[in-house]
Amino acid sequence: MADPFDAALDLLRRLPPSKTQQNLNGIISLRPDLEEDLLSAVDVALAVKRCSKTGRDYLCCDYNRDGNSYRSPWSNAFEPPIDPDDAADLIPGGRVRRMEENLNTAVDVYRELYYEGGTSSAYLWALDDGFAGVVLFKKSTNASASAGKGGWDSIHVFEVNEAAGKRSAHYRLTSTVILDLGLSSQSVDNLDLAGNLTRQTQADLSCGFRDSEVELQHVVNIGRTVEDMETRMRNMLQEVYFGKAKDVVGDLRSIQPLSEAEKDRAAHRDVLEKMQR
Amino acid sequence: MASKQQTVASFVETAPPGELSNVVADIKALAPSEAQALAPAYKKYNEEQYITVKLPDGNGTAILSPYNSLDNNRYFDTATETSFEVDHASQKTSNPQPHALETPHADLLRNLHKALTTTSSEHFPTSSHTITPTNTDPSTLTILLVATKFSPQNFWNARWRSTYTYNPSTTTLAGSVKVDVHYYEDGNVRMNTRKEFASREVSGGAEAVGREIAKLENKFQEDLNRGFGVLGEGCFKSLRRQLPVTRQRMEWEKFQGYRLGQDIGGGRAK
Repeated sequence: MADPFDAALDLLRRLPPSKTQQNLNGIISLRPDLEEDLLSAVDVALAVKRCSKTGRDYLCCDYNRDGNSYRSPWSNAFEPPIDPDDAADLIPGGRVRRMEENLNTAVDVYRELYYEGGTSSAYLWALDDGFAGVVLFKKSTNASASAGKGGWDSIHVFEVNEAAGKRSAHYRLTSTVILDLGLSSQSVDNLDLAGNLTRQTQADLSCGFRDSEVELQHVVNIGRTVEDMETRMRNMLQEVYFGKAKDVVGDLRSIQPLSEAEKDRAAHRDVLEKMQR
Repeated sequence: MASKQQTVASFVETAPPGELSNVVADIKALAPSEAQALAPAYKKYNEEQYITVKLPDGNGTAILSPYNSLDNNRYFDTATETSFEVDHASQKTSNPQPHALETPHADLLRNLHKALTTTSSEHFPTSSHTITPTNTDPSTLTILLVATKFSPQNFWNARWRSTYTYNPSTTTLAGSVKVDVHYYEDGNVRMNTRKEFASREVSGGAEAVGREIAKLENKFQEDLNRGFGVLGEGCFKSLRRQLPVTRQRMEWEKFQGYRLGQDIGGGRAK
């Protein structure tokens, strides 16, 4: 019999992506023992919270969560506050927090360039031989039912292994985009296109020659890797959502009568044969 | 809060086209005891998705639906005038029995079947259809069509379902189409769409009904293709740009300087 954790992931890959959160809760009610593993492995649409200290919105995921509290990247404090002993372990300081602040500044610029709105957040945490983190973006649009409404959530989780001497590092990135689009009009009562794609990449990149450069170069390297990946994934999403889905419907049913399509193909073959003679 | 049994039943009922057996295998791995009591969920799935089954005599196929269901997991097929029993978990049939057509519209029913055979073969590479007296209103006939295309090796599966009611005394036709597409290569993308067709008069008998259905469905499919365009050109583009307004990628080295300029995003305020 299949491993229950693998079965849970397979199930969530098959059931309607618009109901991933609900189905995740359902699976956890069946198998409470899988809760922690599933919460860190399954990406769901991001929740937005407002930082009470700065008034700025930030995004919530498993990586800035402790119980029911979330850490704001702007204030670096958990809301509601957590036990001070836990906070000492979970709130980054020093080099990691400096890089986190810079990364938030940088992805905020990126967000404005590419999303022209929406919300972004970045979180970092220390590892034994480097650090890891996540960059998050969320944007919703609600023009009108007939023009369509939609939501984009992207979740970029990365690990940075620094070489001895810190002059270069190995970056591994796993990116998921959750894209939910809907249309409701007179001609098509309802059209829902919802889903998520996940892709991975990795690279060895230089981190500069002076110690003072390394922290900023990490931010640049992470940012550029995320930008490349997100741009690639946007093209893939366009292809799958609007190309593939349409083609598959066309495979199910042909608008052109199949007998006419067959005549066209026969005529085409004829032309080709004559040209080859 | 849903019970565990309701939870696993909802997994079965929302299984994508052609992937019921995968979903059931996952449920068995997660909740073996609840997986034993899924018979009502299988029945609901098979009837809602218009699952086609092989007839016990090897006499072709029949569609399962709420419209041709009898008691005790039996269904009837008007084309072969037989009834049969279904094991909903395995979708296997048994115990065939003759089942005479109990409708004053038997000739019309046969003609509609022929007309649908003609029009569906012009538009669906593979499909099944059935015409059946409507169980809730035997004075009308229900027309069902289902087409599936499964390509698990390419990570996609799809199903088209058409449902129409034809009223012979008023010669009116009403109905709906539903299409469900699942794509799951390194992800999970689902397209669901439906369209209701309001009641309309169709004069000219069975062949005219067949032609009207093809016309309605052609129009729907053209509108759907336009709908993809609307979402792709409008909604999708307004979520994330392909490139910034400047047509240049971000200069990450200068991220601290962008802020000072205040001119990012075309100068618009947040």
